Amino acid sequence: MGVLNRLDRLQLLVVTGKGGVGKSTVSAALGAHLANRGRKVLLIEVDPRENLHQLLDTPPSGGEIVEAASNLWLQHLDPRELLDDLVREKLKVGALVKKVLSSPVHLHFTEGAPGLKQTAVFGRALRMVEGHGPKQLRRPDVVILDAPASGHGIAWMAAPQLVSEVISSGPIGNMAALIADFLADRQRFGSIVVTTAEEMPVQEALELLDAMSTRLDRQPEVVVVNSIYPPAPKPRRGDDPATGLWIRRRRVNEEELARLSERWDGPTVEIPLEPIDAGPALVGVVGDHLARGIEA
Amino acid sequence: MDPREHPMVIVVGSGGVGKTTLAAAMALSSSEGGDDTLVMTFDPSLRLKDTLGVGLEASEHTTRVKTDTGAPLHASLLDARRTFDRVIERYSPDEDAQRRILENRFYDRLSANLAGVLEYMASERLFEVANEGRHDRIVLDTPPTRQALDFLGAPARIVGFLDSGALRIALKPWFDDDGKLKATSRLGFVGRTVEDFLDRMVGLELLRDMAEFFRAFAPLYDGFRRRALEVHDLLRSNDTLFVLVSGPGEGRVADTIYFARRLTEAGYNLGPIVINRIHPLLGDANAEAESEGHRLLAWLGRRDHATVSELKDLVGSSHPVVEIPFMPDEPTDLKSLKALGEMFGSRLDEALQQL
Repeated sequence: MGVLNRLDRLQLLVVTGKGGVGKSTVSAALGAHLANRGRKVLLIEVDPRENLHQLLDTPPSGGEIVEAASNLWLQHLDPRELLDDLVREKLKVGALVKKVLSSPVHLHFTEGAPGLKQTAVFGRALRMVEGHGPKQLRRPDVVILDAPASGHGIAWMAAPQLVSEVISSGPIGNMAALIADFLADRQRFGSIVVTTAEEMPVQEALELLDAMSTRLDRQPEVVVVNSIYPPAPKPRRGDDPATGLWIRRRRVNEEELARLSERWDGPTVEIPLEPIDAGPALVGVVGDHLARGIEA
Repeated sequence: MDPREHPMVIVVGSGGVGKTTLAAAMALSSSEGGDDTLVMTFDPSLRLKDTLGVGLEASEHTTRVKTDTGAPLHASLLDARRTFDRVIERYSPDEDAQRRILENRFYDRLSANLAGVLEYMASERLFEVANEGRHDRIVLDTPPTRQALDFLGAPARIVGFLDSGALRIALKPWFDDDGKLKATSRLGFVGRTVEDFLDRMVGLELLRDMAEFFRAFAPLYDGFRRRALEVHDLLRSNDTLFVLVSGPGEGRVADTIYFARRLTEAGYNLGPIVINRIHPLLGDANAEAESEGHRLLAWLGRRDHATVSELKDLVGSSHPVVEIPFMPDEPTDLKSLKALGEMFGSRLDEALQQL
């Protein structure tokens, strides 16, 4: 089955990669592409500093679902808020809710317990695709999660499994187990790894691919290699510094692409570095490259 | 750099800006200048490890880098789990207490997965090395921005947690000898509510592991808390200089300003801000017309230099801005790392004199 065919069916896509590789731009471009194909897409970002709205030229979400284009919505989520919501939902009594939410024990537990926040975000995504969303977007066809850069992406994808192992009973344990099953379902959940063709990002991408295959027995749908320098001229005596840099960076890009392909034989899409400021124009151009790449 | 002025340099910044390489280059130039220097790093690339010629042994103990510099250069790779184990070993009153913690299931998960604890352990290790006083200067490379904020806030968070009452509640004997939950009426209304809630939410098994962990941890409490406060002070001392590294390009200025503000607000001694990997301005105006590649390069050069001027306008008066050009090649041996170190070291010196 081709990449596009798979992307057209999945209900949740996690976009992951090292910081500074253009993950948000790729998430937005992918969202716009799938929306153009007629799928109802919700883009979720969880980074404390919102930036997807700038890429799509909409007002900031501030936690609300915002319509960015036809079939394309975006929402900024604060995992802490989701956990507090969960407390409200389970406790029901207002005074008790207040007591628990203001308790340092609750604060430290939810802040520190490994995997809880990630599980809460996935839990929200699952509820949405199962048709329990709010009025303006009852049921998106697909949720795209722009995962935060911190640490390795595997920490996100493995979180519900971890939580369900540590917390084996109670509503949170049950919820985590349900989400872990969802993430294990190849027909519903997939991921996209974004990298640049430089040493550290490729190294981290390779480690992520290894960890995904050993810990989750999964592979990403596609690896997107972003910001590639254009083919360079042959070095000449008297090249100016900019041309010298271009030639060397292009060579690094080629070497790193080769290193990646030695250990990854799945679908790869290469996206050239473009002289365009971050924003809707860049999202459009990256989207075109992405579309050509995944349709090929 | 005068080591008496800055015996500790902490390099912070977002991911993918070449922070680790700059930290290593700075350390190399410091040892070249005659100061016995240690570089501590979190997540070095294979190439940097190769460049320094240190392998896995550097995560076990501080390792001497084979150089011909004026003074010795040492490297240490940080491993949070190992450091946590060492802390437990040091503060445990006896072997039995130590074994109970190390074998506890909650500790196992906690130490491998809990972000704050990992970051705290790194600062703990820094303190340990600083206290040994074997080096004239320590250069610490931190994890990317957001984690670095976690890292810096970790001692305060640990103290907050230890003081929050979470420990007190956890230490109450919840379970009798059969592992059944005892009535906890003495805890009062809040304690009962929270406990009931946790019980309903997460089940008894986790609570049992946690209670056991905290009981085992209790004898370590005072030493641990004292140490956390000392680490907190060390990071804010005048001897400790923070150097913020950023990349050029879109979105970076806002990020850099945000991080600089967070650091100074938290009371850290933030010195120069470094912009790394600046594309050169294209000299010949006609070159732009030559090809698509040249147009791209011209754009990158203009973009990067615009970032530098914007940042200088915004923070230049309080934090000198150090510019480092985009090197065609990452350093692959000590010689090229030394060349980068020389340039970086002298520009940093200039900047420090402006402070």
